[in-house]
Amino acid sequence: MCASVKYNIRGPALIPRMKTKHRIYYITLFSIVLLGLIATGMFQFWPHSIESSNDWNVEKRSVRDVPVVRLPADSPIPERGDLSCRMHTCFDVYRCGFNPKNKIKVYIYALKKYVDDFGVPVSNTISREYNELLTAISDSDYYTDDINRACLFVPSIDVLNQNTLRIKETAQALAQLSRWDRGTNHLLFNMLPGGPPDYNTALDVPRDRALLAGGGFSTWTYRQGYDVSIPVYSPLSAEVDLPEKGPGPRRYFLISSQVGLHPEYREDLEALQVKHGESVLVLDKCTNLSEGGLSIRKRCHKHQVFDYPQVLQEATFCVVLRGARLGQAILSDVLQAGCVPVVIADSYILPFSEVLDWKRASVVVPEEKMSDVYSILQSIPQRQIEEMQRQLFMEPARRESWLAANHQMNSLIWPREQWDSQIINDRIYPYAAISYEEWNDPPAVKWGSVSNPLFLPLIPPQSQGFTAIVLTYDRVESLFRVITEVSKVPSLSKLLVVWNNQNKNPPEDSLWPKIRVPLKVVRTAENKLSNRFFPYDEIETEAVLAIDDDIIMLTSDELQFGYEVWREFPDRLVGYPGRLHLWDHEMNKWKYESEWTNEVSMVLTGAAFYHKYFNYLYTYKMPGDIKNWVDAHMNCEDIAMNFLVANVTGKAVIKVTPRKKFKCPECTAIDGLSLDQTHMVERSECINKFASVFGTMPLKVVEHRADPVLYKDDFPEKLKSFPNIGSL
Amino acid sequence: MQSWRRRKSLWLILSASWLLLVLLGGFSLLRLALPSRPRPGAPQGWPRWLDAELLQSFSQAGELPEDAASPQAPHGGSCNWGACFDTSKCRGDGLKVFVYPASGPISETHHRILASIEGSRFHTFSPAGACLLLLLSLDAQTGECSSMPLQWNRGRNHLVLRLHPAPCPKTFQLGQAMVAEASPTVDSFRPGFDVALPFLPEAHPLRGGAPGQLQQHSPQPGITLLALEEERGGWRTADTGSSACPWDARCEQDPGPGQTQRGETLPNATFCLISGHRPEAASRFLQALQVLAALQEMSPARVLALRQQTQFLWDAYFSSVEKVIHTTLEVIQDRIFGTSAHPSLLWNSPPGALLALSTFSTSPQDFPFYHLQQGSRPEGRFSALIWVGPPGQPPLKLIQAVAGSQHCAQILVLWSNERPLPSSWPETAMPLTVIDGHRKVSDRFFPYSTIRTDAILSLDARSSLSTSEVDFAFVVWQSFPERMVGFLTSSHFWDEAHGGWGYTAERTNEFSMVLTTAAFYHRYYHTLFTHSLPKALRTLADEAPTCVDVLMNFLVAAVTKLPPIKVPYGKQRQEAAPLASGGPGPRSKPQAAAPDCVNQIAAAFGHMPLLSSRLRLDPVLFKDPVSVQRKKYRSLEKP
Repeated sequence: MCASVKYNIRGPALIPRMKTKHRIYYITLFSIVLLGLIATGMFQFWPHSIESSNDWNVEKRSVRDVPVVRLPADSPIPERGDLSCRMHTCFDVYRCGFNPKNKIKVYIYALKKYVDDFGVPVSNTISREYNELLTAISDSDYYTDDINRACLFVPSIDVLNQNTLRIKETAQALAQLSRWDRGTNHLLFNMLPGGPPDYNTALDVPRDRALLAGGGFSTWTYRQGYDVSIPVYSPLSAEVDLPEKGPGPRRYFLISSQVGLHPEYREDLEALQVKHGESVLVLDKCTNLSEGGLSIRKRCHKHQVFDYPQVLQEATFCVVLRGARLGQAILSDVLQAGCVPVVIADSYILPFSEVLDWKRASVVVPEEKMSDVYSILQSIPQRQIEEMQRQLFMEPARRESWLAANHQMNSLIWPREQWDSQIINDRIYPYAAISYEEWNDPPAVKWGSVSNPLFLPLIPPQSQGFTAIVLTYDRVESLFRVITEVSKVPSLSKLLVVWNNQNKNPPEDSLWPKIRVPLKVVRTAENKLSNRFFPYDEIETEAVLAIDDDIIMLTSDELQFGYEVWREFPDRLVGYPGRLHLWDHEMNKWKYESEWTNEVSMVLTGAAFYHKYFNYLYTYKMPGDIKNWVDAHMNCEDIAMNFLVANVTGKAVIKVTPRKKFKCPECTAIDGLSLDQTHMVERSECINKFASVFGTMPLKVVEHRADPVLYKDDFPEKLKSFPNIGSL
Repeated sequence: MQSWRRRKSLWLILSASWLLLVLLGGFSLLRLALPSRPRPGAPQGWPRWLDAELLQSFSQAGELPEDAASPQAPHGGSCNWGACFDTSKCRGDGLKVFVYPASGPISETHHRILASIEGSRFHTFSPAGACLLLLLSLDAQTGECSSMPLQWNRGRNHLVLRLHPAPCPKTFQLGQAMVAEASPTVDSFRPGFDVALPFLPEAHPLRGGAPGQLQQHSPQPGITLLALEEERGGWRTADTGSSACPWDARCEQDPGPGQTQRGETLPNATFCLISGHRPEAASRFLQALQVLAALQEMSPARVLALRQQTQFLWDAYFSSVEKVIHTTLEVIQDRIFGTSAHPSLLWNSPPGALLALSTFSTSPQDFPFYHLQQGSRPEGRFSALIWVGPPGQPPLKLIQAVAGSQHCAQILVLWSNERPLPSSWPETAMPLTVIDGHRKVSDRFFPYSTIRTDAILSLDARSSLSTSEVDFAFVVWQSFPERMVGFLTSSHFWDEAHGGWGYTAERTNEFSMVLTTAAFYHRYYHTLFTHSLPKALRTLADEAPTCVDVLMNFLVAAVTKLPPIKVPYGKQRQEAAPLASGGPGPRSKPQAAAPDCVNQIAAAFGHMPLLSSRLRLDPVLFKDPVSVQRKKYRSLEKP
């Protein structure tokens, strides 16, 4: 406000008192110049939005203008598809080594029009779908225009529909591609294979070693681990926008909506409808509708007319029955509608079955059991049905790619191509592959669950021992006392002192206590709390004991017992000082609690055993800005570690032994540091901050602690393994 | 004068601005005016066709739904599941397997495999009632080749099991029979129909099998990264120093220094490169694929996961001949079950599909093992199952104590003695069901359909427990739903003097078993006990009642690979000595009987699954010198 007033005052003063006429002239002139400059500036500073748009860079041509290639009648024909092809026999991985980022590169041949000796075209030049598919590849990360760097070659010869092809000539066209080389590393897309009368389940065009992404493979034509099974594109689901429908019961139990079914199948289905009445709906083409164009969007049962594919949303299960071809476009419609598909097509290879777990989202019924389909479906528990429905309704972005059926053509082809490339990518770089669970677990389900990195139940051998890591700044006297105490523990195998003071050198070698295990001092570059959790190369054991340089009260028995408890729970934080988080209903936020309570949800890393892998996680995988936040505040690294471990393992901490005093015998039971009121407020803030970064409260509350088996039992002390367990 | 000077400076500013405008704007205008050409080298991509909108669809409307159908399945040269397996014989109780008896003399291995299948839940003696007919083709050494069996029927519903490469020429056409063998060739293997087995050495243990040798989750620092298999069982180690070649330059030179080990022992390396049929190709393969570089790039998290998974797979499916055979049958059973087959989670995470029976449930949250992965929690209630053996006093006090627990959902009394059922039972708010048992000890672990909760509190009528003991133990069990949580413990130990396992119920500093006369565990273990243990073991338990405890502990330990959990027990008086089922008390008789059954059960399991624990889980403030008022489970501390 102030500034603008000032400007207004100064403004007129800049232009001197002149004759009004001149003044207007100057002002106009000045404004034009200014405008010109601004306009120029816009060109200068945002040139990319104009330049890189497709209109500027990509050729604008008509499909009709593409070069014509004449195929002599005697030009070579590739061998028929080689059924024994596998990635290691027919695929040249050496071509895929150019890209360091484990990503394959795809080259697309330029579009040509092929004609035979008489000038008759071999096929339609390109279909709308194939054009969009190639556009999608070209827009993706996988694309390269350098034929020498390509690992995968995609011909621009459109073979999506075998019905529109002249088979021999198409094969000849393939064979004359510049890098054909028996079809090695070439990828063909086909959705409608075979032709009457026997409808082969794979493209009949001889293609030698070329990979085939095909809709409708059977177990006999599908080369496991080589071909990719893709869904058949449905124009209907591309056009219609269906609202999302959550899991739960639907109006119909089972719907069959396919037209043109074989009469025998239709009889079977209609028998089901008669037997089970309302819950089964068998639809057919509408015969009484006059409009031919609309009829593909309508289905009829007797005289009742239903909108298709909307009616699919009304059913729990939808029949996907084999036609002459195994791959049916209705599968896409059914998936989009969130209806659980009942696939009745013996030997059909379901789309992307290499990576997708169709058991979780569909029911496959053998053709001979078609008459039992109702009872088979009835026997599926409701919970499993809902799980399948949930699998169909994953979060939208994934669902689109998973279902490969969406209202926009582009997003149909896009994810599909991405998937194909990803599958082939995974085969070429198996070590960087996406795991089965990653392909199939909807993230929404993952949210509530965990994948414990130490999932194998394993009790590490006691002989390995543990590495004690003492974080210290300058309390040398106390540090030496801790070292002496810890060195008495039988299972200690190494002691690491993290010297966090950059202004002062650690004491000379001769001054350190002489202990029976190797002692190593690590000097840090900065005084940061996260230094205590760095995965130092010096840590050779799996077990790490983090201990502060003032924890002098812990006895050797207590530490040894703690290590043995850790061996039984190697994926948990096993520590001595226990703490609790509580929900503060008044403040509506989390609160830190250090009182003696009946519950524990954290152990402080001032004295705790844990697996060294958590050091790696803390240093490299801590979510959000927590690590820097902790270093900046010089507090709460222990709470952060508790959050991290609980979040990744889903498990609670283990508090060992009753001890509550750690620093000095005279101190109050709760350590001086923790008593401070501001300290408590800060710690509470940490919990709230971390909970918001993690997006959840991962800490688990338990009511138990671990004591030696005979602790406080009426039993001779001298026969107890760990007699020296302090009671406070 | 002043105004002139001002005017001059204004003019100067103006002309400078004009100049700038012309200079900057001129270029832009020029660029706009001239048609742009794609710069050489700039990515061009697939063209945007002017007439893209006019392109035709790949299929005509109506072509898709109209394609004529024929009820004849597409057929190929070989079998698949739908065409060559008749599932109609498998209705009812799932997979029933008939094994062809050996014709003529058979080897010891063959004999033991037959015995193992006969003891399993799949077996049936009638070939007519069987869904699968199993033909063992085992004896590589004896040279005996099996002849065509009687019910062959072109091999339909047959499984030919070849554990070792067959030396026999094909005496008869395999036809529609499934083949389970190691290293099948790509040409003959029918995916989804045949079963690929691991290659088993001759000396592979029949049962149990050596547990995996992985002792720690993460690799030791400085360990060899990669070992390559060479001919004649040798290993060459390659480390990060070895030369690596660029991708496209297929290297032919020697991979450089690396020591070679000969002999049976596997090298101590993080990864082992196994090259199948062509060991000589390994070194080239290694270099060309830059395996080393790729392995080095692998994140510690992935290495950790891979290590553990290999170990799990070994233990669950590979370590013994019996496991390999059962896995094969389980795979086939899953094909038959279709929708009620194991979900992939059950196959691929501990304890594995052989121990997570799909006949129990296919929902992971029904099992005790997957709660963490599924983000679910076991139910908050339990069922008390009280076994009343001889002398048959109704356990009135015990019922009162258990019914007092806030977590108790129902009480079941399993009446298992000769005395008639009492007509009246104490009044409790809890639903009380009385089951008339068959007077067999193994009845205690039968999966009664009346048990409706995940948790079972198994009790003996002579046990004595307080309500707060029950409450605390149950809360602990909720944190460890896959383990047994008990009050009284016993241990096994290796008895050097007798060269066998020993058993003691003495109080010691560690324990490996909890007595099931007072213990919480998941109801799934009843199903596993009844349906997966060999019959012989259950008979053993019926004949020597004290063994039933040991057997249940073996079972749970073999599944979880974890020790049980002990919680505090107030009446730790030795004279109470209550809790040995069936027998008169743990001090006298069971001490004598138990070691024997430990040895027998260990022999049947093929290994010793029991693990010892040195800790007891107490309430957080247990016996702390603080006010009793602060403690939640204060009555636990009463003397």
